[in-house]
Formats: sequence, C-alpha cells, structure tokens
Amino acid sequence: MANVLDLRRRIRSVKNTRQITKAMKMVSAARLRRAQERAISGRPYAQMLVSILESLRHRAEVYDPASGECRHPLLQTRPEKNVLLVIITGDKGFAGAFNANIVKAAFQFLDQHKESGIDIEAIGRKGRDLVRRRYPIVSYLEADAEEHDTPSSSPIRNRTAPIEVIGDHPGMLQELLFDRVDDLGRSISERYIHEEIDAAYVVYNEFKSVLAQRVVVEKILPIIEIGKPQIAASVEMELEERERLGEAALSAGVSPLQPDMAELDEEAKKFGTSEVDYIYEDPPEELFRRLLPRYVTTLLFHAMLESVAGEHAARMTAMDSATNNASDMIDSYTLIMNRVRQAKITNEIIEIVSGAAAL
Amino acid sequence: MADTTNQLRVRLVTPERILADLMADAVELPAKSGYLEVLYGHAPLLAELGAGDVTLHGGVAGEQRFNVAWGFVEVLPERVTILADSALKPEEIDTALAQQKLEQGHKLWNEAGDDPAKYEHANDVIDKAEARLASAARKA
Repeated sequence: MANVLDLRRRIRSVKNTRQITKAMKMVSAARLRRAQERAISGRPYAQMLVSILESLRHRAEVYDPASGECRHPLLQTRPEKNVLLVIITGDKGFAGAFNANIVKAAFQFLDQHKESGIDIEAIGRKGRDLVRRRYPIVSYLEADAEEHDTPSSSPIRNRTAPIEVIGDHPGMLQELLFDRVDDLGRSISERYIHEEIDAAYVVYNEFKSVLAQRVVVEKILPIIEIGKPQIAASVEMELEERERLGEAALSAGVSPLQPDMAELDEEAKKFGTSEVDYIYEDPPEELFRRLLPRYVTTLLFHAMLESVAGEHAARMTAMDSATNNASDMIDSYTLIMNRVRQAKITNEIIEIVSGAAAL
Repeated sequence: MADTTNQLRVRLVTPERILADLMADAVELPAKSGYLEVLYGHAPLLAELGAGDVTLHGGVAGEQRFNVAWGFVEVLPERVTILADSALKPEEIDTALAQQKLEQGHKLWNEAGDDPAKYEHANDVIDKAEARLASAARKA
C-alpha cells in the first residue's frame, strides 16, 4: 500500500488540477454569457433583413409572372453535382464532445453525398486540422493554392479527388467580425452564381439556449424560402447531456433558458412591411439583388455566433465535470490516506503491545 | 397629428447590435444617389444607403453623427430605421485601417480588368474607405 506521504502529494496535485478546471469553467461561463448576448443583439438585424426581403420578394416580381421562372440566381435550384460544405467547429479543445460531434455530423454528410463533388470550407481550428488530414487541399492549374481567395484571377480548378478542402479561415472565430464573414458569404454567393457549386451547406452547433442545442446541417444555398432555415439533418442532444449542461449552467450562474425576445422580434418583423406604397429610391429588383447575398452572410454570421456560444457552453460543462471528478478523486484519496495512516498507527500499537507482552 | 413633438424615432441597427434608438428632429442619410434629409411626416420610402455619415439633428443629446457603410433604410412618417453593415461613431474610426483599406481598394480596382462585378466591388471598397476618412477628418 502506498504510504501517507505519496498520497498526500497526489491529493495536492489533484487539488491544483481542480483549481485550474474551476477557473476555466468560470472563464467559459463568462465568455458564454457574452457570446449569448452577442447572438441576441444580432437578432433584430437578421429579422429585419428577412422581413424586408420577404416584402420585396412580392413587389420585385422575382418570379417571372408569365413563365414562373426565377429571376434571381441565388434562388434557382439545380441538381447538386458540386456541393460546398462549411464546417464550423471550435478553435480549441477541452470542450467535451463539442468538436467531435460536429465533425461526426460532417463526415456523415460526406458519406451521404458520395456521388457529388464536395468542397470543404473549414472554420475553426479543430475541424480544419481534422479535415486537412483526411482530404487533399484544392489545387489549381496555374495559380498556387494561397491565391484562391482573391477572385482577381480565375485559375482553372484541377480536381483530383471528389472531396477537397477549398479554404480555411484561422482566427475568424476569435474575433467574429461581420466584415470578414461578409467576404466569405459574398464569395460563396459568387461561386453559386458562377455555377461552381450547386448547393451550400453549413454544419454547426445550433444554440438557441444552453438547454436547446443541437448539431445541424443547414442548407444556405439555394434559398428556397426566406427566413425559414432549411435543416437537412440534425442531431439532438441526449437527455443526460442536457442535464449535465443544466447543472453546469446553474452552478456557474448562467441562465439556462432563452431570454424573452418576443417583443423585439415583433418590432423587427414590421420592418419594411407596412401596408403603404413605399417610394423606392432604387427599383425593388435592384434592392432585392443587393440584399440577398447579405442574407446569406447573415445566416453564416449567426451560425458562427451560435457555434461560439455553444463551444463555451460545452467547455463550461466539460470543466464542471472535470472539477466534480477532481473533487471525487480528492475525497477517495483522502479516505485511503486516512486508512493507511490508521493502519500504520494500529501497527505501531500492536508492535508496542506485543513488545511489552514479551517482557 | 397626435404627436405634438414632431420628432422621429430613429433606430440604427447593425448585424452586431442596435447601435442607437432615439428621437430626433431630422435625419440626414447618405442614400446611394446622394444625401437626403428626412423630417417628421415624410412619405414612406425605402432606399439603399451608400457609404457616408448619418446625422441626427435636434436629438436629446444634440447633433449626433455615425459613419455607415452600405446599408438600407426604411422611412415611415414617424419612424426611421437604418440597417447598416457597419456603423461607427467618428471617434471610433481607425484612420490607419481606413487608409489601408483605401489602398487595397485601389489595388482591386487596378486588377479588376473587364469584370463589372469586380469593378463594382472595388468601387465599394474605395467609397467606404474614403467616407471613413472624410468622416474622421471632419471631426478633427
């Protein structure tokens, strides 16, 4: 049996670990709160964009009244020969199964779309590393791979494998700026318009509140109906996982429920939809054309905001579990240590007693 | 009308947050084809915004200016809602960054070639950077 000193040392080390995990949990909880706030304060914009597009869609005669044909390239559907998949994961580990779940959903998607060519955009370092290990990076005939994001020269794509990694965006999640996401969103829209891709999907961790999370595959292009997410596949959380999340959130002082947004949402829905004839500075068709790519960006932006919040929630839970486990370990080691100490004392007494008896 | 104050409720919304929600006597907007000023009781209007300054006159806090880049505005008789891609107060503008963007825009412009879409994009970038710089300079 180990001696008392060893055990004491081990307890001290576990205590240190517990301190660290506890601190990480609190940090994640604070970040989660901030991420949640950001996700919520971005809602009115998204909602307003949806309502204005919805109302413009009727006025702009997006569908040709005679032939019923769609006039906007982002709304046209084509057979899915080439598909773009955007994978949004976290930048860092220590977040339980968060990254693994997303990557799993992504690979499932890839399995289901074996017959089409797939381009992968990886956002978040964890997913990028995994994807890059598995699939080749896209290559071009004349330009080198680094230049592919500048659309100035259009190099000829040299497809060697059915699944290729087309781009990654390190650091995009660290400081989530609309501008950067807009660049990506625009480039995706452009690729769709130029028929380089026939559909675009995003895999990410949807975060409505701490307790309402799931991994979803959402189709962002072509747009079928504005304002309605097109969920292609989703993996709900398990009950046990949910309970853990709730406990962790409670102990860290984060509200697990979604704040009431009904009033703001109602207000935002009215944007641009009044029952009056507006004066249009520009023709509605033009407005619609300019606003639609922005809608794609907003979808992406929100996916990222939610993913970030989800990552922090997952890390908070993981660290809460780790802290609990460390406490359990300390308890059991303390018990063993006390036993060993008592055994030693008993032993010594026996020795003294038997020594005395021998006299 | 019932409202005797004759003030407009102006809201400035960006993808990140609601930046401003206040009352003002008049709003100047950088519409795409030139500036326009909106007073109480304006006819309903929808317009795209270019890069420039949104100015609120006669609010509680006095005159307020925001630099916006590409957005969208809805005007109703008693309410103005601005959806902007980004909106900054003049003192928040990073002139070095704007300068850098301007150079990047010129580079894009030179490289655009015959592609009208790229040309348009380059012009967007240049306009945005120039508006930022102008707005920052006006404050100084």
